[in-house]
This record gives sequence, C-alpha cells and structure tokens, in this order.
Amino acid sequence: MIRFGHIIFGVAFLLSLCTAVSASERFPPPEFESGYEQPSPTTPHPRQDIYEYIDAAVLLAGLSLSSYLVLRNRSRRAIFILMVFSLLYFGFWRKGCVCPIGAIQNIVLSVFDRDYVVPIVVGVFFVLPLVFTLFFGRVFCAGVCPLGAMQDLVLLRPVPVPRWAESGLRLFAYVYLGAAVLFAATGSAFVICRYDPFVSFFRLSGNLNVLILGACFLVVGVFIGRPYCRFVCPYGVILRQMSRLSKWRVTIAPDECVQCRLCEDSCPFGAIKEPTTDWPVHEYDRSKKRLAFLILLLPVLMLLGGWMGSGVRMVTARMHETVRLAERVYLEDEGKVEGTTDASLAFRATGKEVKELYEEASNIRAEFGLGGWFFGGFVGLVIGLKLIGLSVRRQRKDYEADRASCVACGRCFEYCPKEHARLKKAKEMIGKS
Amino acid sequence: MNRRLGTINIKIFAGVLAAVAIVIAGVAVVRLDTTGKKGSGLGKEYVYDIKELAKIDPNLILYEEAVEAISTGFTDSRAITVDSQGSIYTAGDKAIRVFAEGGNLVGEFKLADVPRCLTVSGDGKIYVGMKDRVEVYDGRGKRLASWESLGDDAVLTSIAVSKNDVFVADAGNRIVLRYDTAGKLINRIGERDKDRNVPGFVIPSPYFDLAVGHDGLLRVVDPGRHRIEAYTFDGDLEFWWGEFSAGVEGFCGCCNPVNFAILEDETFVTCEKGLTRVKIYDAKGAFVGVVAGPEQLVEGGTAGICQFPADCQAGGFDVAVDATGRILVLDTIKNVVRIFARREAG
Repeated sequence: MIRFGHIIFGVAFLLSLCTAVSASERFPPPEFESGYEQPSPTTPHPRQDIYEYIDAAVLLAGLSLSSYLVLRNRSRRAIFILMVFSLLYFGFWRKGCVCPIGAIQNIVLSVFDRDYVVPIVVGVFFVLPLVFTLFFGRVFCAGVCPLGAMQDLVLLRPVPVPRWAESGLRLFAYVYLGAAVLFAATGSAFVICRYDPFVSFFRLSGNLNVLILGACFLVVGVFIGRPYCRFVCPYGVILRQMSRLSKWRVTIAPDECVQCRLCEDSCPFGAIKEPTTDWPVHEYDRSKKRLAFLILLLPVLMLLGGWMGSGVRMVTARMHETVRLAERVYLEDEGKVEGTTDASLAFRATGKEVKELYEEASNIRAEFGLGGWFFGGFVGLVIGLKLIGLSVRRQRKDYEADRASCVACGRCFEYCPKEHARLKKAKEMIGKS
Repeated sequence: MNRRLGTINIKIFAGVLAAVAIVIAGVAVVRLDTTGKKGSGLGKEYVYDIKELAKIDPNLILYEEAVEAISTGFTDSRAITVDSQGSIYTAGDKAIRVFAEGGNLVGEFKLADVPRCLTVSGDGKIYVGMKDRVEVYDGRGKRLASWESLGDDAVLTSIAVSKNDVFVADAGNRIVLRYDTAGKLINRIGERDKDRNVPGFVIPSPYFDLAVGHDGLLRVVDPGRHRIEAYTFDGDLEFWWGEFSAGVEGFCGCCNPVNFAILEDETFVTCEKGLTRVKIYDAKGAFVGVVAGPEQLVEGGTAGICQFPADCQAGGFDVAVDATGRILVLDTIKNVVRIFARREAG
C-alpha cells in the first residue's frame, strides 16, 4: 500500500504540473479591425518558453517514474495509470506535439540544413527517451508515449502474430525510418507527422484519410497489440537498438526463473522468448554455411538497395514541392495540361526565371539520387542483418523478455509465481513493520 | 475442442480484419492529398466567388455617362483633378495634360519623372506629387519649386491644397504631411498616437487619398480599415465613417476605397478597386447611391480578384468632381476620362 501511495503522489504531482500549464501564444495574431474572424488553427499554438520547459520536465518525470515502476515497483497497474496520464497530457492536452517520434525529423533537418535550428526542447524530447532506454530499456514505450498508450488501451482480445509475419512486418518500420530521414534531410516533408495516425484524435480535428488510418490502427489494435509501435514506429526502431544495450532491463521473474511456463503466452507483443534446446550437429553445420553465404550477400544487398533507391529518385523527389512545381510549370509551358495551380500562379508572379526553377529541381533530384543510395543501402543492410539474425541461434536457459521487442508494459509480471511470492513477502514485511 | 475452435476462429477473424484494415489504411494513405491538387476539399459555400457582388440593382444607379469619354493619350495614367474653371488636369507617363471642360486638349507639359498625383490651387499653381517629392508648376508648365525628397520609402499618392496649406499623402510611410505653400513642413498627421487616440493608417496597397472638406476638416482614406477619417489640420482625429461590407453599401476587399472626391453639396464620391465601383455617400457617410458599377466601368462587367500580389497594387481608378456636379472617373486601364452626370429625375 505504501508503494501504491507513492505512485498516487507521483501522478498527483505530475497532474499538478499539468494544471499549471495554460495555452498562450508567443506571437498574438494581428488585430484586424474589419470584422475578420481569425480561424481556429488545426495545429497546436506555439508555447511560451516556460511551458515548453514544463513539458520537458513532465517528460523527465514521466520517464523517471516509468523506470521506477517497471524495474523496481514492477506494477502493471501503476504503469497503466502513468500511461493514461501520458495519453491525457502528451496526447490530448499537448495535442501530440512535440513528440520524440517526430523529433527525429527536426534533428535530421538540423544536420543537413544549417539554417534550421532545433529548439532546445525538441532536442530534449528526442534525447531523453534514448538516454533512459540506454539505462532502463524501453520505459518510454511503457508508460510515457501517448501513441503507445492509446493502442494499449484498446487491446482487448490479443491474438499472437506468427513469428514470420512479425519479422516481415517489422521491416516496414526500418523502411519508414529511412524514408523519414531521406525526406527530412532533403527538406521535402516531415512524413512521420503527416501520416501520424493518432494526432487527429488528439486534436479532435484533421484530414479524413488520416482519421481512417488511425481508426484502422485502433481496430487492428483490439486484437494485435500496439501495431503502430511494432511495425511502423520509426523511433521504436532506434529504441530497439538502444534497448539491446541497456544496462538494466525488464525481467519476467523478479529473481530466478523456475521455468513454469505460466508467462509463455502472457505477452501480447510476442516479446517473450522461450528457452532454447541444444542445436543438432547437422543443422549447425548447415547454418554455418548459410551464415557465411548471408554475410557475403550483405554488401550485395546494400548495393542493390542503394542502386534501387537512387534509381527511383525521379519519383521520390516529387515529395519536394520545388520538384513538383517545376514539373507542373514544365507541363503548363509545353501545353500538356490545361489551367494553372495556385503554386504555378504564385511562381509566375515572382517573375523568377523558369530555367532557375528547373535548375533547382535538378539539384534536388541529384540530392535524392545520393540520398537514395544511403536509403536503399540502409534497407539492404537491415534485410541482410535480419537474415543473418535468423540464421544465428542464441542460447537461452530461461524465459526472457526480448531486449529489443519488450515495451516494458509489465503484463507478464503477474504471471510469474516468483513475483507473487515477492509481493506476499513484501506485504508481510509491511505487516510486521 | 470447442475452445480450440474458438481460438482458431478469433485468429482467423483477427487476420481477416487486419488484412482489410491494411487495405483500407493503404487506400487512405494513397488518397491523402498532400500537394493541394485536389483543392481544399471544402464545399462550394466556401468558394470565393464575387460574381454576384458585381451585379448592382439598376435602381441604385443614380448617374449616367454624360458625354463621350476623353482619351488621355497616356499609356500609364495616374491621377485626375479639376480646377475652379472646370479644366481637367490628368497626370500620367511623364507629363501633365490639360483638357477643356468639353474634352479638347488645351495644354501639355513634360515632366522629368512619372507623376503620381496632382492638384491645382485657387491661384492656378499645379502641385504634382512624384514618387518621393512635390514639384510646383505654374499654368504654363514652368517649374516653380521642387520640394525636399521624403526618402526612398516615400510613395506619394495624393495631394490637396487649402488656402495656406498643402497636404501630401505618403502611402510608403503611412503618413500625411502638412506643408505651407512654400514647402515648409508644418506637422505630420495620422501617426499612431494612443494619447491622441490616433490609430495610424493601414495601407496594404499604394492607394491613400485625401481631400480638404468644405467644413475645414481634412478627409483621409484609411483603406485597410475601409473608412474615411476626418482630421483637424493639427492632426486631431475628429470622426470617421465607412465600414467593411461585401454589399454595395460598404467597402470590401483588402483596401478600399482607393480614391474619393467631395462634391459641392458635401457628399462624397468614392472609388473602389477589385470590385470596381464608384458610389455616393452623404456628408455623414450614409450610402446614397451608385455612380457606376463593374458593368459600366469594366469590360465584361466582371469583378477582379487579385491573382497576383501585383494585381492588388494596381487597377484603382481616380475620381474628381467639377463645379457643375459632374463626376470624372479616370479609367487607369483604358486611359480615358469618363464623365458621369446625375440622371434626370422621373
């Protein structure tokens, strides 16, 4: 009860921070004196500095509390309460912005565009969850990410995803991360934000197609745990790798695993790995050859991916508005399309030379060509490493939470008899005191 | 056995649901228009269509074109004024052209620069506003004075004279300057001043007109606020009239009226761009009627919408009145002066 009291106090403290925040605009809109009504924006208002720092402080507090609840307190109920708080605060109150997932793009753009400066708070939002993951595993996913929280809440009838499907679908997140980096680096688009399936729910407003996308994720999420986190989230890709290196991590049993198998089916995210048996000798030899082949194949896959990524630059470059404009202006000038668009009209109004526009577009395509090599190479690398990973047999004596896949939700704790024993012992200790 | 079947069924159901959801989500993503090619997606009630506004009830039109239009001969006509004798002065290109009341060209003199505005004083001196300075000429076109430049930011758009004062509207600096007739600056009018309750002028385009009223107050257009303001010569804001409205009784667009003139009976003639209209308001600012609307003033009777930023910066007609109550509209597109007279009653 004492621990639960601590949690209540912690959550109440976070809520008190929440009430201290009030929306305020840094730059008030101009005062029109002609009866013009200022439309309501669909994106959140910029926040005053102090409130941005409060957001960062709430994130830090949330991550700290989540780490404590996952690793020390080991309480699913408390993690759940924190998750609900995060959904309300970072989701519905802060309207899903700033979020570490989208911050990837800000960081990338700041690297490639010297004129773009990342606000400190965006940097903090990007870095803090990574630092915590390095030490404590994916505690951000556990109780702080509003996107994860939203999906966790609708998970009512979990159905396991076959391993082959899980492995295959997970590749999409890597491709998405690569694409997001490519488009952000070229200054074309922030695709993570554009296709964020839940932000429309948080803002109670948005494009119908994005709402449909979000609804699809939630409907699937009733049966398949956190589909966005597992198969799409580009930040999750980075967290997975960080989590592999984490100093501390979630364990199903509080101490020694007794291999009772009670936890075997408890994870809706397929993150519990069963103990392995000894490898038959004939299979070992065959796998060794396969591994050698795959290692040799890896650079081929990377080159092939890079070649393909660069080859589709004419298509990918269309994400950049200048390229789209140049193509439109060309079609108009050649008489291949009728009429004009707002963009082409505006361009012609500037009096700028068409040649100059074509040159800009050509340069951007060249950037996409080079970026395509890296993007395709990255995808090839991921596929190659995935194949290599499947060919490597790891030894496990106990049931373990997979370091990369485990989102530290805490569902498996209560399935472990050793955990029950720990709690009972703790209660007795409290009773005696 | 049944339990196992149930488990299989739920797996199949979840699988099918996931497949359907992936297809729907894929279609939603592909169909998401991020380029704006499909338009705003809003209904027709949100479409900006001002065709209907261009139509004016014929009963509201109180004037008719009296005589044949006078061709100014300019390629870029800028301003018009009428002196006490009824002579019509037009400014454009790099010249001033003077026409008799009947429309015959009676005089012309060349200028070193493009004139933007002009007025004629009671003693026959012609005050011409260039981009950044005022030049004074006699009736024969001899330059009498060139006042000090107001700097690179200045864009002079209107000039008016009273007995002892010359008022100059500078749209670039959003200010009215009061000079004596010798060109000495006396004071500045219309600067934002909370203590004097002067809000400052809102001027989105280079249209900023002024005139001295018969009541001794200076009238200045505040086009961004869609009103005409009355100032004392010392710069106190006394009152204003005019309101934004897409209807015929008000002024619409970003910045209207663009020009105005005051008739002998103290009624106002206003001129609007975009939705080109010349209208009459009484001394208190109540709408009286229409001199001419888009159907009379613009070919095809259409209303113009600013497609380019440059469109908003041009196309405003100038207006002047003579002692007989005729209204002279300088069509800056066709470079003609169109003269309207009040319709006979009945």
